[in-house]
Amino acid sequence: MIGFAVAAPLVSAFIVMLFRPLGVRRVARVVLTSLAAAVPLTLIGAVDRLSLIFAGLVSVLGLLTTIFSTGLFSIDWGVGEVLWARKSVYFLLLGTFWSAMLLVVLASNFGLLWFGISATTLATAFLVGFSGERTALEAAWKYLVLCSVGIGIALLGIVLLGRVSLAAGLDSSHALAWNAIIAQHGAVGAPLARLATAIMLVGFATKAGLVPMHAWLPDAHSKAPAPISGLLSGVLVSCSLYAIIRTSTVATALGVGDTFGTLVMWFGAASIAVAGALMLVQRDLKRLLAYSTVEHAGIVALALGFGGSLGTFAALLHVAAHAFSKSSAFFSAGLVQSERGTTELSALRGLWNSVGGRFLLGAMIALSGMPPFGLFVSEMLVVAAGVAAHQWVALAVGTVGIVMAFSALTRATIEIEGGLVRIGVRLSRLSIAAAAAALSGAVAVVAVPWIR
Amino acid sequence: MDLVIFAAGATLVLNSRTSQVVAAYVILTGLVSLIVAPSALATPLSQALFVLAFVLKLVAAPIGIWSFAFRNPAARDLHPAVSLPWRLIAVLVAAALAAGVVRAPEFMMMPMAGPAAYTALCGFAMLLIHRNLLAQLIGLLALGSGLTLGSAVLAPGLPEAIEFGAAFDALVVTFIGLALVRAFLAHNPLLDVESLRSLRG
Repeated sequence: MIGFAVAAPLVSAFIVMLFRPLGVRRVARVVLTSLAAAVPLTLIGAVDRLSLIFAGLVSVLGLLTTIFSTGLFSIDWGVGEVLWARKSVYFLLLGTFWSAMLLVVLASNFGLLWFGISATTLATAFLVGFSGERTALEAAWKYLVLCSVGIGIALLGIVLLGRVSLAAGLDSSHALAWNAIIAQHGAVGAPLARLATAIMLVGFATKAGLVPMHAWLPDAHSKAPAPISGLLSGVLVSCSLYAIIRTSTVATALGVGDTFGTLVMWFGAASIAVAGALMLVQRDLKRLLAYSTVEHAGIVALALGFGGSLGTFAALLHVAAHAFSKSSAFFSAGLVQSERGTTELSALRGLWNSVGGRFLLGAMIALSGMPPFGLFVSEMLVVAAGVAAHQWVALAVGTVGIVMAFSALTRATIEIEGGLVRIGVRLSRLSIAAAAAALSGAVAVVAVPWIR
Repeated sequence: MDLVIFAAGATLVLNSRTSQVVAAYVILTGLVSLIVAPSALATPLSQALFVLAFVLKLVAAPIGIWSFAFRNPAARDLHPAVSLPWRLIAVLVAAALAAGVVRAPEFMMMPMAGPAAYTALCGFAMLLIHRNLLAQLIGLLALGSGLTLGSAVLAPGLPEAIEFGAAFDALVVTFIGLALVRAFLAHNPLLDVESLRSLRG
């Protein structure tokens, strides 16, 4: 049944190609992909809750992306003369991408998980370079080079973990299965286990776009067609973070969870700070949203690094809230791009008067972490997890990054929704007040241990 | 065998003629395949995957790269970004690091850990040193070969996982890499990485 759920999106993409009249094909695409998205529901009880949550996320956003793409494909995305810039190829690649992500989150061992992550590269490299424009090809090339290095490193780490498992007495068929490794955690070599999980982290963090392995992400996410950008930012990054969560559980079982948690925490803090700073200088809407993905991936990593049940819950809530917010932001950016023909912030003033602009306003406010949206709650929980873990320095670095990202998103929102002066002024005041409050909080967080 | 691997790896980094670098890559990857073969042939599945990886790495990729260089005279030189002395230093650093790996207590009993690290480091050095898309493609493939050898040395009991990884990695790099290089030719006949710097900041 798991195999069927994984294959369903790809199979439905192939079946849709059999329908000839364009109108019938569109209806068939929506119906069949809806069915494919519903298949993971049959896995309740067959896989654990973590897999189920992520499979639900992948399926819902995969379906939304397909519907959005079906409706918007009148836009001439494929302007170049590349072989793969065809509508049918686009939907086949989208189906492959969706299936590969389901494989990542439904796999029961690191071998299949690695295969899923690697397969996403196969589909998405062409989707990133789909337009055939020089900059899109440049983004696709960077994506290929950096992610190939990353997944190659992850494979080495997985094999090293397999060596640890074999040495602990597991047979080769279970050496990469996390449940078996966790159950067998008695006799392992800690230095090798530490090395294996650290190497796996570096590999998966590359695909998640964590600093300093993030260089490909802003390019790829900003140059892909808008629906694909939404899926890359909202779901693919989440799948890579899922791989980190699985590695984290194994690291904890092998007795090297502290080292792993510290590494994840600092990857997260650095990602938030660097992305927050770079968001302040962005002049392109999609690139701004792409850097925001690095920031949010960092927040999830920071929460995982803080650890504990609060940190883990905050990380999962943040993954889900970010997936929906970021996908809707990129979908809205796609609408805006089709209306204005550009995503340059300076050319997007007065967006409030358009449908895409109104959707974008909501998505940007959600992404900036304002109440009552889910990201506000999850970010508060991350801060609480950091305080509970007494990780003051990492928390302060992360908070400063979040404030910078908040300021950048708020400024961009005011700039592009310029026609709405009243909301702009309110947002501006609110952002200054929130920034001041957050900075005061950061100062307090750093100061508390010293006062004590 | 160590000496041939050293010479082939050094040629990858030091040489700038595309045909000679491809020849060095074929020798290097051929030797790696030879070393990995005994453990890779353990099960029918690992045998099939080994053959697939072999075909992709030693037939499809070199022929594809050679054909680009043959049709496009500008791509016959890889235009290294740094001068020869610096490339020589890069080779020596790779060799020193590989020698260091062999001396580490965890890897002392694994004589092929050194060549594996050296191959991977030479591939990585190619990514940094050469400013040509074909060179980066060869670098990625060489890095993959090094990681495959390293994996086989570390966990000979997992031939299927290793060969699966090697075959799929080679498929992704060869298939996407050659398709993107073909698409780039319209914009950038030199296949120069310098032209891939418009997306910055």
